[in-house]
Amino acid sequence: MRDVIIFVEHVQGQPRRVSLEIASKAKEIATALGGTVHAIVLGKNASAAAEALKAYPVDTIHVAEDPDIDAYFIDPSVDYLEAAAKAVGPALVLVPYTMIGRDLGSRLAARLDAGQTADVTDVVVDGGKVACVSPKLGGTVLTSCAFKGDYGIAAIRPNSFKAAQSAGAGTIVQLEKPAGKTYRIKVDEEVVEAAGELGVEEASTVIAGGRGVGGPEPFSTILKDLADSLGGSVGASRAAVDAGWIGHGHQVGQTGKTISPNLYIAVGISGAIQHKVGMRTASTIVAINKDGTVPIGEFADLLVVGDLFSIVPELSKQIRAGHS
Amino acid sequence: MKILVTVKLVPDTTAEKRIDPSTKRLVRTGVETVLNPFDEYAIEAALQLKEKAGGDTTVTIVTLAPESGKEIVRKALAMGADDALMISDPAAEGSDVWGTAYALAQAIKKNGFDLVIAGTQSTDSTTGELPGALAEYLGVPGVTYVRKLDLDGTALKAERETDTGYAKVSTDLPALVSVTKSINEPRYPSLKGIMGAKKKTIAVQTLADAGVDKPIGSDAARTEVTNLETPPARGKGQIFEAADAVAGATKIVEFLRERKLV
Ligand SMILES: Cc1cc2nc3c(=O)[nH]c(=O)nc-3n(C[C@H](O)[C@H](O)[C@H](O)COP(=O)(O)OP(=O)(O)OC[C@H]3O[C@@H](n4cnc5c(N)ncnc54)[C@H](O)[C@@H]3O)c2cc1C
Ligand SMILES: Nc1ncnc2c1ncn2[C@@H]1O[C@H](COP(=O)(O)O)[C@@H](O)[C@H]1O
Repeated sequence: MRDVIIFVEHVQGQPRRVSLEIASKAKEIATALGGTVHAIVLGKNASAAAEALKAYPVDTIHVAEDPDIDAYFIDPSVDYLEAAAKAVGPALVLVPYTMIGRDLGSRLAARLDAGQTADVTDVVVDGGKVACVSPKLGGTVLTSCAFKGDYGIAAIRPNSFKAAQSAGAGTIVQLEKPAGKTYRIKVDEEVVEAAGELGVEEASTVIAGGRGVGGPEPFSTILKDLADSLGGSVGASRAAVDAGWIGHGHQVGQTGKTISPNLYIAVGISGAIQHKVGMRTASTIVAINKDGTVPIGEFADLLVVGDLFSIVPELSKQIRAGHS
Repeated sequence: MKILVTVKLVPDTTAEKRIDPSTKRLVRTGVETVLNPFDEYAIEAALQLKEKAGGDTTVTIVTLAPESGKEIVRKALAMGADDALMISDPAAEGSDVWGTAYALAQAIKKNGFDLVIAGTQSTDSTTGELPGALAEYLGVPGVTYVRKLDLDGTALKAERETDTGYAKVSTDLPALVSVTKSINEPRYPSLKGIMGAKKKTIAVQTLADAGVDKPIGSDAARTEVTNLETPPARGKGQIFEAADAVAGATKIVEFLRERKLV
């Protein structure tokens, strides 16, 4: 394992922030291993994403804009990745720990008969050996995992590394279409509901609402407004999602997303264990709850006891006033 | 039609979990084991397809797990699955995603299948990486994160969740799908179902019986746990009783300023 291959996820030609975070870290890993960084960008508008990537420390950017990549689900992308990985040779492959990243990583691992490790929050190189650190069992243990064999695939949790611009060689090469393939999963329709918005996984600030919020409306008014004032995204507990107040994609916790934002503000959330496992690695946790004895008080950095309906709008107001 | 549902046996989330420092594995003794909650959606999806298709459609539960988990597998049978296949072998201990996917694929191929349904992720590892690898080793189309599933003969139509919305896709059987929790509401086993499950077959096979032709246990794993640490516990922070909204908001702003978050 010498080189580092990164799969760059992009939305309409704009690399997702997690991919820029990975690109920034990859160079450090590659340097420690004595190798270089190869980025792989696939699908419609891949060239635009490749251009954006030139501001980050990558050596070679492999691009394919083959229409089959978007016309068929996943298999063409796996073929391109497999061919590129084999052409590069023994490497550590970094994918984002997102839906598509997980899917691609696991299939590539099978193609290469390689080990894979998920939800990685740090990568350490020691004496030429790569160790991937990930929180397991709801964040109660931190494991370090090494790979045996030529390839290893690590899925990196968003917000684990800082995205830092610093241009590399950024040589763009076009990938050749893998020969003799037929694709079986046709994409009949692709619906983008939240293009510009950062998902809760990627946002560095998350304002999450729970049952205490009482209905759908505050999610799009007072919580959204607070999130906007802090440049963050809106999350939710399962109680709020199950009540239909907000979409499942916003759910944080064991059956939702596991996130590590810089700031997590839990509004009207009690802090059940299944919720806690999804957000306990946030750098700072603030809770607003009318009850001073809730479980979240045991692990929040600050619990403000009071009524969310009056505190949240006042908080947005003060934050905005502070900025102006 | 043969539908196979892969299920994992996991420690109860609320149970105290411990890792044995010498083997670097989860200590499963003394911890209550349950069906991975995500897999109940997969079982329900299979049962609904069976009810719709009728005829000779069967639903078989497949798991790679120690034989001690047999009674938990029975819960899946009580929901209405026809039978189960357990691959239980001490030589499978310590297998990683690679080994689990490889072994399950061999067993599933040997058993025969038209459709494999998996859960999206497991609550103990939450990797969600098995279904994709399994589809590869089975050599069939693999449609993940499915929230709506329709079969018409061998034509499969699905709606899958994506990070930015959703997509409608179509393919043909044989195939694998993994389902999300928005696909259905899993049923509770009825009393009749629980009684009936006692008579259903749970075939227990060794790796060799299941047709697994390579070692898959800890020595063969492609990954190795080299270190385990307990992260520093999150201490109890401050609790501030806000006299009114202004006091509460001011406290938060001051706190965020101290931490340079605003
Ligand atoms: C298998 C399984 C998986 C699960 N997965 C998840 C998961 O992924 N994510 C998740 O979140 N949960 C999950 N849960 C559910 C979890 O156990 C809790 O039920 C859930 O997190 C509770 O949500 P909540 O905190 O919003 O609601 P509650 O526990 O009801 O808390 C609401 C809080 O709002 C406060 N409040 C009410 N009104 C106001 C007000 N006006 N001002 C201020 N505060 C107010 C109350 O004091 C209370 O503390 C799971 C459960 C199971 C069994
Ligand atoms: N040991 C196992 N036996 C059978 N199925 C499994 C096993 N491990 C994982 N699965 C299946 O793969 C899905 C995803 O699990 P995971 O990749 O571990 O998060 C689960 O919901 C199960 O359907």
